[in-house]
Parts: sequence; structure tokens; C-alpha cells
Amino acid sequence: MSTYGARHAPSAFSTPASIALFRRLTWEGTVPLEVRVDPKELPANSNRGLECYFLQAPRVSYLPLLIPEIRSYLLDVVFDEAGGRVVKEEEWWFEREDGGLVKWHWPIGLIYDTHAVSLSASASAPSSSSSAPVPLKLTLHLASPPTDKLLLQPSAEACKQAFMGQLKEADFIRWGNTKRMTGLRKQDQDGLWDGIKEHDFDAYWRIASKITPTPAPLSGGRSPSPSPVPPSSASMVHTRPPDRDAASAVRSVPARIYLPDGPVLQDLVPPGAVRTLGDFLRAHLPLLFPLDRPDRKPLAYALVQGVRCPGDAEMAWLGACMAGADGWVNVCVGVEGA
Amino acid sequence: MTAASPDTRAIPSSWTNADGGKEALEALETYKKKDPSKVVVRFRAIGNAPIMRQNFYKITASNRFQAVIQFLRKELGWKAGDPLYTYINMAFSPAPDDTVSNLFKSFQTDGHLIVNYSTTAAWG
Repeated sequence: MSTYGARHAPSAFSTPASIALFRRLTWEGTVPLEVRVDPKELPANSNRGLECYFLQAPRVSYLPLLIPEIRSYLLDVVFDEAGGRVVKEEEWWFEREDGGLVKWHWPIGLIYDTHAVSLSASASAPSSSSSAPVPLKLTLHLASPPTDKLLLQPSAEACKQAFMGQLKEADFIRWGNTKRMTGLRKQDQDGLWDGIKEHDFDAYWRIASKITPTPAPLSGGRSPSPSPVPPSSASMVHTRPPDRDAASAVRSVPARIYLPDGPVLQDLVPPGAVRTLGDFLRAHLPLLFPLDRPDRKPLAYALVQGVRCPGDAEMAWLGACMAGADGWVNVCVGVEGA
Repeated sequence: MTAASPDTRAIPSSWTNADGGKEALEALETYKKKDPSKVVVRFRAIGNAPIMRQNFYKITASNRFQAVIQFLRKELGWKAGDPLYTYINMAFSPAPDDTVSNLFKSFQTDGHLIVNYSTTAAWG
């Protein structure tokens, strides 16, 4: 699907300025959420009718990190004093509107995108022409988390451990070991999570740049001139030598494909052999992304960070610029106007 | 909402993606089918964790890693609440909802998925 006439030289997206820009755009992306407390679980004397809270949540953040904000709204507006004393936020957990469990250890943007592609494949899908983002409706339960189904405790600490596990897994995928992650001091490892918690781009990337590869300009011929690096905070994103940590030098790009209502597919994505997103999708989903029908409408599309991503996007570049804070490129596949 | 009569809304079928939509949904059904194949999982004890008499098992690839953890707990006779930490390749803890199949494809060593287990946190 060559919807873009003029092909960009790969290097156009791989200059230090655009790397910093796309990382910033990924970081600042938000999704609308509508969080409604299960009315059956509201404490006595709650202010009913107001138990719904709307917010724009960062894509790279996690549901347990939203609890303090939601809690303070509920205490201010919905619960009375006695009610505020009864509720225990260690027991709070989320459910989808249709009763499905929310993978609360997934990044919020991923929860939103998997919901969006599920809608694309359901008969009741609203017309895809409406482009206004629709809030994802979540039910907040105040008690009895189904820990066996959630698999992990619904706490910020368990979420942090899961996040660290994902970062290490991504590190292993890239380099065949986790030396970059384990080489970080404890305070730096914690700093990555704190960067998400505080939604502080510079704090996060000051550390993440030590473990994330950087795309080197790929255009042959011109060698990249030694980049003039101003000592600003943004420049910390790309101050390392490009060869050792080049995005194209990784063994594999950490990437997963999410299909509507499952399954999730993960495999090695060596950027030499699986160069583009189109290569990746055709290899794993040939029925949805067939090679032999360029003249017909595409059957499916791919979202990365909520953005419809062209098939010629390079996997190495996606891994360096549009991965989530946990290092993973999440590709959510939806079906075109079913 | 008043539905327009189907006749007045008919547009040439080549304009719509009805066939494509059906084809896409059929493709999704195909990809939803569970992989019945099995992969070899090899368990390795770390530190003071008890060693298993048999340490490799064939496990259905479509299982979640959580099923592997539960299987291991059962084999070790662990009670609920007894600490058990599991790792792949002595490097990281996978998400419990990831499938054995995905982990095997990405991290297998000589046809085995190596799962290390420990009673204390070993690799964070």
C-alpha cells in the first residue's frame, strides 16, 4: 500500500532532531478514559451520579499509576468521610465495560489500541469515519480483586516489577543478554519507573538512552557527519557512538503483534531480514497482509502507538523511536471496514 | 433511528469492502486457532531451590507461562504463598500471560525453553 507518493530517504527520520521528536511524540501521546465506579460497590452516602471520572492518560503509563488521581477525585466529590475511610485502594481493580478483565500491567496506550482493533472486528463497530477519539470505558471495582485471573497483585509495586521484566526481556531480545539493563545502577533502574510515574520525558530518557538503540542514518554514500551535539537535555537522547548501539545492529527488535481479541504473537525480528513493518506482518499474517493483491483494498491495518503505520516503516526505526517505555513495539492489527 | 430501505442504499459492491471484511474476519478466526504442538521446557533450580527428579517436560505451546508456573509449583509441592521466582535464560521474568509458544520462539536454546526457578529473587 503505497499511499505515500514521495519516498522519504530513511535518514530523514533518523536525524538526531527527528529521533528526539518521535520519542517525544510517543511519550506525550494520551488516550481518553472514562472510569466509572461499580455503583453496587459505592460506600453508603456516596454522591451518586458523579461516580464517573474522565481523564486523558499518558499512553506510556499504567493503570495503577492513575489510582492516586482517581482516588483524590472520589474522596473530594463522591465519597463522604466515612466512605473514604472504608475503601482500600490495594483492592481496587479495573474491568472493561463488557466485563472483560483489563490487563492492568499493560501500558495504557496498548489497552486502548487493543480495544480499538477489537471494535474494528466486531459487527457492532461504529463507522470508522468518525475520527474523534472515543473514551475507553472502564469499570473501577473497589473490592475483591480476582487475583487468580489478574495473575499479579493489582498494585503499583507489582506493576513496576512487571515493567522491569519487560525491559529486561526487550534487552535480551535486542542483544542476547541483559547486560545493559543489569549494568544500570539500582537508582537508575528505579529512575526509569519514576520517570513514568512523574511523566518526566527527560528523566526517563536520561537513563533509557543507555539501553535503547539509536537509528543511524541508513542512506548509503554520504557518511554521517559527526553530529554537532549541543549540551542540552534533549541531546542526551543520542550521544552514544552509533555503531555499537545502532538500531540496525540489534539481533532482533522487541515487537509483538496484537490481533483483535487475541492472540498475541511474538517472534524474533532481525532488522536485516525483517526490514519493514510490512515484511513483519506478511511473514506472520499472510492472510491479512497478502503479497499478491496490490490492486485491491487492504484487508487490515496496523496501529503503532495509536497511529496507522505504513508498511514501509522500518522495524529498527520503530524499535528506536516508537517503542513504549518498556522497550516494546506493539503492533495492533485491525480489520478494514468489515 | 429510522433505517433507510436497503434498495435506496445499495451501491455497487465493488465500492464496499464487504468481501474484504468477510475475508479478514475469516483470517482472524484462523489465527485464533490454538497451536496444539508441544515444546520442551527444561527446569533448572537456582540457589537453594529443590532440584526436580525429572527436569524436562513437553508442554503445549499455546499455554500461558502462568500454566508453567502452576505446573512447577505443583511438581515442587509448593503451597499457596510459598515464594517462587521464575526466569528465562537466567535473565528475566516473562509476563505470566505470555504464551509458551512466543517465549519458545524468541528464547529457545537447542530446542529447549530453559526456565530457572528460585525461592528468592535472583535477577530482579
